[in-house]
Amino acid sequence: MHAAFAHVGHFATMLLFGLFVSVALACLTRRTAAERVRYAIRTFLLFILIGVAIAWIMYPISR
Amino acid sequence: MNEAADRFDSPPPAEAAPPESAAQTTNPEPQCAASNATPPDRVHAGFRRGKSSWREMFALAFALAGWMVPGLGHALLGRWGRAVGFFLAVGGLAVTGLLLSGYLFTPQSGDAFGTLGFLSEAGAGVFYFAGRFIESAGPNLARASGEIGTRFIATAGIVNLLAVLDAFEIARGRRY
Repeated sequence: MHAAFAHVGHFATMLLFGLFVSVALACLTRRTAAERVRYAIRTFLLFILIGVAIAWIMYPISR
Repeated sequence: MNEAADRFDSPPPAEAAPPESAAQTTNPEPQCAASNATPPDRVHAGFRRGKSSWREMFALAFALAGWMVPGLGHALLGRWGRAVGFFLAVGGLAVTGLLLSGYLFTPQSGDAFGTLGFLSEAGAGVFYFAGRFIESAGPNLARASGEIGTRFIATAGIVNLLAVLDAFEIARGRRY
């Protein structure tokens, strides 16, 4: 099982991180199930968007 | 005639008394109860205090349960949606962190960062202790995924601590 996860890339780990944290934040801040689903999806998409944006901003620095 | 005599034989202070006391003399029962018993405001305050102390104890018990098993505090409070959500989120973060060979800090780490790491990871409750039990070989920091895994486990602990606070506040009646 460890071997399977040893080759998981950074983007995949970011997706997993964003997914779980979005679910947790939705459960914390919203009351109804529909509101939670909407909030979780929006937060997850923002995680990806901001993560990719920061990666592009940092790209010239890393070279 | 007798009624008039009775009226005039009544003691003068009662007639000269203010209207409130006159009303009390017409119905003496509340006056007696008020003179013998504890004032109503103190009774209610004491009752409220006793009730709230029980509530605090239950809230602490729910918080402890929620720390040990993520989501259990909300489940005991009947908030099943939040309970399932927190269990999946904390469990997913912790298990992913362990599979990425994350580092599990011990209480005897020796420095402040290690202590903070331990406190944040121990917030994951049963997942932290299960990881300590399973990962007897220690962390694999040779890979970058080990560092990422450490962040996953720490995040699981922090998220669970937020869930514990949420369950505590719900049990106290300060949050829906």
